[in-house]
Amino acid sequence: MIMLRNVTRTYQTPAGGFAALKGLDLDVPAGEFAAVVGRSGSGKSTLLNLMAGIDRPSSGSVVVGGRAIHDLGNDRLAAWRGRTVGIVFQFFQLLPTLTAAENVMLPMDFCGAVPTRDRRRRAIDLLARVEVADQADKLPATLSGGQQQRVAIARALANDPPVILADEPTGNLDSATSAAIFRLFGDLSRDGKTVVVVTHEREAVSGVVRTVTLADGCVVS
Amino acid sequence: MIAPRWRKVLRDIAAHPGRSFLAGLALSTGVFQVGALIHQYAILEPLLATMYSRTNPASAILFVDDAGDDLVEAVRQVPGVARAEARPIIMARVRVRTGDGGGDPDGEWLPAVLYVVRDFDDLRIDTFKPNGGAWPPGGDEVLLERSALSLTGVGTGDRLTARNPAGDEIALRVAGSVHAEGLAPAWMDHVVPGFVPWNSAARTGLGGESAQIRIIADHPLDEGYIREVAAKVRTMIEGRGHTVTRVGIETPGKHPHADQMSAFMYLLGAFGILSLVLSAVLVAGMVHALLAEQVRQVGIMKAIGGSTRQIAGLYVGQIALLAVAALALGLPAGLAVGRAYARFSAGILNVDITDTPFPARAFAAVVAIGLLLPLLVALVPIHRASRITVHQALNDDLGPRPFGSRRLERWLARRTWLPRPFLLSLRTTCLRRGRLALTVGTLAIGGAVFMSALNVSGAWTRAVDSDFRARHYDLQVVLSRPYPIATLVEIVTAVPGVAHAEYWPGASPALVGAGGVAGGNVALLGLEPDSTLLDLPLVAGRWLRADDPRGVVINQTVVACNPDLHAGGIVELRLDGRSVTFPIAGVVKELNPVPVIYAPARAVLEATGQAGDTARTLRIVTGAHDDAAQRAAAAALEAAFLARGIEVGGMTRMLDARKAILDHLVIVMAVLTMASVIVVFVGAIALASTLTLSVVQRTREFGILGAIGAAPWTIARHVWLESLLISVAGWIVSLLLAAPVSGLLESVTGGIFFKAPLDFFVSVGAAAIWLILSVALASLCSIHPARRAARLTVREALAYA
Repeated sequence: MIMLRNVTRTYQTPAGGFAALKGLDLDVPAGEFAAVVGRSGSGKSTLLNLMAGIDRPSSGSVVVGGRAIHDLGNDRLAAWRGRTVGIVFQFFQLLPTLTAAENVMLPMDFCGAVPTRDRRRRAIDLLARVEVADQADKLPATLSGGQQQRVAIARALANDPPVILADEPTGNLDSATSAAIFRLFGDLSRDGKTVVVVTHEREAVSGVVRTVTLADGCVVS
Repeated sequence: MIAPRWRKVLRDIAAHPGRSFLAGLALSTGVFQVGALIHQYAILEPLLATMYSRTNPASAILFVDDAGDDLVEAVRQVPGVARAEARPIIMARVRVRTGDGGGDPDGEWLPAVLYVVRDFDDLRIDTFKPNGGAWPPGGDEVLLERSALSLTGVGTGDRLTARNPAGDEIALRVAGSVHAEGLAPAWMDHVVPGFVPWNSAARTGLGGESAQIRIIADHPLDEGYIREVAAKVRTMIEGRGHTVTRVGIETPGKHPHADQMSAFMYLLGAFGILSLVLSAVLVAGMVHALLAEQVRQVGIMKAIGGSTRQIAGLYVGQIALLAVAALALGLPAGLAVGRAYARFSAGILNVDITDTPFPARAFAAVVAIGLLLPLLVALVPIHRASRITVHQALNDDLGPRPFGSRRLERWLARRTWLPRPFLLSLRTTCLRRGRLALTVGTLAIGGAVFMSALNVSGAWTRAVDSDFRARHYDLQVVLSRPYPIATLVEIVTAVPGVAHAEYWPGASPALVGAGGVAGGNVALLGLEPDSTLLDLPLVAGRWLRADDPRGVVINQTVVACNPDLHAGGIVELRLDGRSVTFPIAGVVKELNPVPVIYAPARAVLEATGQAGDTARTLRIVTGAHDDAAQRAAAAALEAAFLARGIEVGGMTRMLDARKAILDHLVIVMAVLTMASVIVVFVGAIALASTLTLSVVQRTREFGILGAIGAAPWTIARHVWLESLLISVAGWIVSLLLAAPVSGLLESVTGGIFFKAPLDFFVSVGAAAIWLILSVALASLCSIHPARRAARLTVREALAYA
């Protein structure tokens, strides 16, 4: 499902070029639940951003679902992302002025993949799946961290994408909630979604099929 | 059901009521000012174009020895004459009422023109309409031009005492008032216009009327044609054995205050453009601020599949919503103020606005501007913001550059001796240069207009003061005919309060222009070359000299009438049918719209044939020069002349003349003041919005400051310091802008009124006032953002993403 070949990502800083990823090769088969771990600065988030089409490689290729996304323009990339990838952020990144349900409906709104009349029902179903349907009409500010992250996962599933990418999704949550969130990702993987989670919490990644360890921009295991 | 993205738009507006209010206020202020200016322009422009012609102004006025019905009928038969009407005038003076008492024997005498009307119900030329009271007036009654009521202090039913030069008095009952649009308001020219019937007691009681026949030519806007027709009429009248002493032809279709109108419309146009520019700048700043706060959300929306176009559409929709709200708020207010201001302006020009249909064109123009302008200026920042990548948005790649990457920042970084709180505010202020430039620019333009208004006012006052300082006399007396100077000296020297007097001969010849064609009249004044009463600034050449008995000095208005005239050249005049020439020794600049030629007294006497021992005009210097002294001397002179049978045609106090000139500037100053108030208001909004946004963007910084021990008031002081720095920067730039703007306005308005630019003047006081206002504005605008910053808890601030 996800294939990276000889991917390098170099950032220009006032101190000179900084290589976050160095000639990285990685394959994630469809339906796999993979965790990317490593120390701060090892290149985990950069790797996830490249898979999500949020960032572009300095060199190398990124192919997701058979599509070489490193060649796509920004608009096509956005449309592709809306249908193919669901992203979950560390700080939830819910839009503060929309309710939980509306946040989930927004990707459907952008992609038009779900008929307008079905969007609310689908949003409620997704919220029910992540066990926060009772919070559907609340604004993010009134939800707990765990509830917000569940809403963010529901939003990631809005257009039923085959790939779920999560960047330190439990970084702001307590251990019990973190475990519940990982169970949720496990369930998604069993349902056929390809799930890649970036985390620095080695102990919390039990249940994943595969762990990819990064160090200094390279896969070490 | 509204789609979530549009709900986001609505809730984003509602979620930040303060910022949305400021944005809406900024937009509605732009709509308001553009609406007010366009509407008043839409009302005044056609009004000013037609107001004079709808009174059927005379094409020519023939001063004759008789204006009987037979002669007028004969004039009507002359080919080219469309209408003719007798309208003799009686030049008199009336006593104004200064207190509540009836006759008010201490009241001042003001010059008055009583128009004798043949038939009030058959007005054909220079028409006027009833304004109140009786119509037509009886034989012992007078109808006053409505603007004269407040000047004279009388009302319908009161008695008004009129006096002729011989001192004969008659009391006329004020039957009511009329509105004569073709005449300037009485308060502006300080002359009382009145209308009396053909059988008026004033004709016999005062006498001395000047018979006039007014005509309208078939082609009333063709000056050449008018002159031809007037010449034919003159020939016909003279052929019937009558005398025509003068033919007056004014520029066709030109209202007496057309120059003020030109200045007014010029200023309206200039400030209309300025308002648009300012609105655009302000809207651009607002949109920039709005999008700066939304960067992360743009990233999120893109991350979940939103395309650039969809996201741009959201923000275009948001701006459109704000624009519609601003229109709803600003448009009715702008149109109402525009109408009110048009009425005020028209009142100054003695015109009524009776017909104000729904301003469809102004409405459409303002709606178009109010909707399109914000969207147009928002397009670039929206395009830029919606094109950012998710990575840039979510990783703060678009956050402020690292401080120190620009030369100014490196220079600031080396200024370590400055107090640290001040240093922090200074560096923060300079970090976001685009927004800083917008805010400073808006404040600078506001300040420049504000200072220019004060500078132009100061330039006028200085010019008027300087002009009157150059006239070292207090009273100007015009007698109805020449009197022996010996008699006048005898009378004047006996009057208490008079220190010195000079007796100047004068005439009103026509100025001969190109091709030997006589044009308008000029004032020819004779004085001794060594007279100390006039000290006008020379533009070219030299002043009168005793060893040059014929060399004259012309003022710049004469040059404006005939640009070929210059120092060293020759000026030709037509005097009583004769041609007279004088060499031009010099050109002077004076605040006088009347063309004046100053000549040695003897040269004037020779040219006019007047006896050398007689004089018709006097310049009087009083012992004290204040208003009371001038009034007392004028009253004493009046009484002394009356007692000796000397007929006084007019007496002008110089302080009164000075006030009349300044009164003509009311409309110009009113426009400047209105524009500057609006622009300053816009600047304040820009500053407040900049500070609000700065507080939002510096939230983390405030959290850090709090975490390391800064008290809430220290953080509030940072915000205030930032506001102060921006305001002072705006003040400095406004100083640079104010000079050319003031110079332009001074040049244009001076040229319109007095055919010469005013001397360049910028007031230190204006700069100081604007600095004080800037500091006050900075403090006022920082109150809310500073309180908001001070109330942030460290936890909230540090958690802010």
